[in-house]
Amino acid sequence: MDKKLNVKIKPIGLLDLLAFKKLVPNRKKKFEEAPATEIKKTPPMNELAAKLHPKHQKFMITKVTDLTDSMRQFELSSDSAAYFRAGQYISVKLDIDGHKVTRPYSIMSSPKEALAGKYMLGIKKADDGFVTEYIFNNWKEGTAIETSGPEGNFYYEDIRDAKTVIGIAGGCGITPFFSMAQAIRDGIEDFNLCLLYGCKTLDESALKKELDEIAKTDSRVKVVCVLSNEEKEGYEHGFITADIIKEYAGTEPYSIFMCGPQVMYDFVGKEINKLGLEKKFVRRELYGQINNVEKHEGFPKDQVGKKYKLTIHIGLKTITTEALSTESVLVAVERAKVIAPSLCRTGECGCCRSRLISGDVFIVEDTDGRRMADKKFGYIHICSSFPLSDLEIEIPVV
Amino acid sequence: MSERTYDVVVIGAGNGGLAAAATTAQKGMKTLLIEQHTLPGGYASSFVRGRFEFEPSLHELCDVGKEGEWGACGTFFKDLGLDIEWVPVPEAYRMVITDKNEKFDVTMPFGLKEYIDKMEEYVPNSRESVTNFFDLCQEVLDAIGYLGASKGNPDKKVLTSKYSNFLKTASYSVDQVEKALKIPKKARDILNAYWCYLGTDTGKLGFTIYGAMMIKFLLLGAYIPKMRSHEISLAFEKAIRDFGGDVIYGTKVEKILVENGSVVGIKTDKGEKINTKHVICNAPRHVAFGSMVEGADEIKEKANREFNARKVGGKGYVAYFGLNKTAKELGLTDYSYFIYPTVDNKKLYSSMFERGKNPMQAIVCLNNAIPDCSPPGTSMLTVTTLYKDGAWDDVNETNYVQAKNDIAKDIVKNIESALNIKISDAIEEFSVASPETFARYACAYDGSIYGYESETWDSLLPRLLMMKDDLYINGLRFAGGFAFRCHGYSSGYMSGNTIGLLTYKDSLEDK
Repeated sequence: MDKKLNVKIKPIGLLDLLAFKKLVPNRKKKFEEAPATEIKKTPPMNELAAKLHPKHQKFMITKVTDLTDSMRQFELSSDSAAYFRAGQYISVKLDIDGHKVTRPYSIMSSPKEALAGKYMLGIKKADDGFVTEYIFNNWKEGTAIETSGPEGNFYYEDIRDAKTVIGIAGGCGITPFFSMAQAIRDGIEDFNLCLLYGCKTLDESALKKELDEIAKTDSRVKVVCVLSNEEKEGYEHGFITADIIKEYAGTEPYSIFMCGPQVMYDFVGKEINKLGLEKKFVRRELYGQINNVEKHEGFPKDQVGKKYKLTIHIGLKTITTEALSTESVLVAVERAKVIAPSLCRTGECGCCRSRLISGDVFIVEDTDGRRMADKKFGYIHICSSFPLSDLEIEIPVV
Repeated sequence: MSERTYDVVVIGAGNGGLAAAATTAQKGMKTLLIEQHTLPGGYASSFVRGRFEFEPSLHELCDVGKEGEWGACGTFFKDLGLDIEWVPVPEAYRMVITDKNEKFDVTMPFGLKEYIDKMEEYVPNSRESVTNFFDLCQEVLDAIGYLGASKGNPDKKVLTSKYSNFLKTASYSVDQVEKALKIPKKARDILNAYWCYLGTDTGKLGFTIYGAMMIKFLLLGAYIPKMRSHEISLAFEKAIRDFGGDVIYGTKVEKILVENGSVVGIKTDKGEKINTKHVICNAPRHVAFGSMVEGADEIKEKANREFNARKVGGKGYVAYFGLNKTAKELGLTDYSYFIYPTVDNKKLYSSMFERGKNPMQAIVCLNNAIPDCSPPGTSMLTVTTLYKDGAWDDVNETNYVQAKNDIAKDIVKNIESALNIKISDAIEEFSVASPETFARYACAYDGSIYGYESETWDSLLPRLLMMKDDLYINGLRFAGGFAFRCHGYSSGYMSGNTIGLLTYKDSLEDK
């Protein structure tokens, strides 16, 4: 290298060398002369993070109301409930006969109520759901429950979405939209929400009255019931089709938000395709865990009904249990009374991400929310992975 | 509960922690890496929204190099056998100044000769002074290599004979050195583009650290991993396990236990006590001394003073856009953009203290390095800016979303006008990592994504020279952005490597 270069910083070059020698004493002096005031343990941003995203929240159930024959509203109260974005869910932690399970439920109340320490959940009793049955039998006024912080990405984002949202709801899929409608009323959100609410009969249209009340006072909210099993004057009849969507959407650009059971997604999804919308204008909430994996394309037919050995490493412990090919690895872990981390149970959020040490799993493509490098290095989301052989996994400590 | 014993416990699986744990495990030390989050990497990670997988933080990694000319990081990774697919970044940067009077738009290439040639094109008669600048940078790089190898104990004779220019410039800022070399004003403005990667204006930023970074970028180019920085983190994790180390997630170290001035163990939030004589801490020094160290009250005052003398680096703000058009369709022709309202980075630095000022934007369009990083017909754009100190203090639960989204809207407008393109109608996915987000996932102190500011008095060199003085407790060393190498990806990894080696050396004296 050319050494001819001779840098002159100041007129007198010798001072530069002196400055170098002073680097250490200068730094020492800076330290010594600084005040000895205490270091803030939780600065503002960390405090805000703890408020917005608590890992756990504890509530008392303070009110139980029947919304329909099969849907019940629970009021959760606490000193503080994390603020959230209308459309988000919380994951409820349950202990059913020693099985630690979780279920995600959309928060149906307005974010405003969270400031007063309240959330509302609207839970529909599933036909063969042992968790909802447990909830209906056990959650009473005074019951203490634990939940996650608010989670999920099913909310309005003005930088991304059209000013008008066509909300397509089925069953208890109405709950996030009920939260959005109230958020609009309360001045927290600002968009036009036109709800196409699919129900079997008018009696089953939970929250319809409450939504009508909001629509009366706020022109941005509109509610249309689409009844499949009954014909009633003033109500749409049949299923939610492309034509109905077009009719209510009008001529302005719109985004479709969809929340409901898997069967609705299957049917309405095809109808939405007919509309030729850009992908960015169609969003859907996750539908919860996959119940009939054997019906999914690509699930090996000869795997139905198979039982495998599942070895679970967690912290220092190793547990061996049995796993069914048609139940997710997460369910097998919960059956073994091991606490596994989980939130969305649909493969998306990655909370249950675990290391697959050996074995093969089946993952429904739609629910493979894994990162590329996770696939490369052998990680799976156990909530959306189904055993196809004996498995050895390592799950994170909760 | 039975107590476990390890040769070394590494607290935090950020870049520094991963690199340190891999180093000690490779050296045969029984290593335990503990991370509070469920993922390794800290900011070196990835996240999925819809059909896009975003890179949270890495713009480009310098010091990787390629077969035949590995840089320090590249050599370290290769030595560990990390399985990472590296993709070269096409150009150094495009710098766009939007101020009416200062307006310019330049694109600078990698390669020393190419860079100097291009500079001559933009700024006639800059060749000689810019060449001198890079000669000096090269000497700085060599000198730092020598200082690193001497582990804070350099031979003064070697320094004065071989690295005299380095010695002369070591206590000066970037601006002072550039002015002394008589580099034309516009050339200085272009040379200073990377200042935001270090987050201190060039009037205060130590020249050595900037010079070393610049020359590494230009000589070796920059690289990014094919599968986002999550790929690097997982490759490290695999190496740690392969070398016999243990990794536990979802567990927070609450206390570093000290007896008679030496580390004796740690305690986790699960109540477990783990015995060890060596702790490598990836958390900042002031967090360790301020709330983790137990049994060494005598160092508290010293630690407080040290922290109060320093400035915590910029708070991160990153907006991620998944776009439903290709980069070409949108007119996003480059990989790395710096869009600054003015060349005056002192002014930009002071604007970081106020939210809503939108001080500057460092932008990456990943598709221009990895065309298939997002599905066909789409592209991804990531925009980073920085804030300081109290800029976010008025943000609470209820105005949080608006606070972060207002900035994003402003950013979109700025990009559209600076580059004369339209992206606002192509946004399919959108997400923001605010200072709160960095605090949430990585426990970033007040949302800072950098370490202590590398001002001249506290830059790489004085820290290197005072490595021994900075050891407050036997067996407790620090790696990562707040440690001696200052911040940035490559510094994080290399600090972990050095500290891992030093800890190994310490451990040889245990018996």
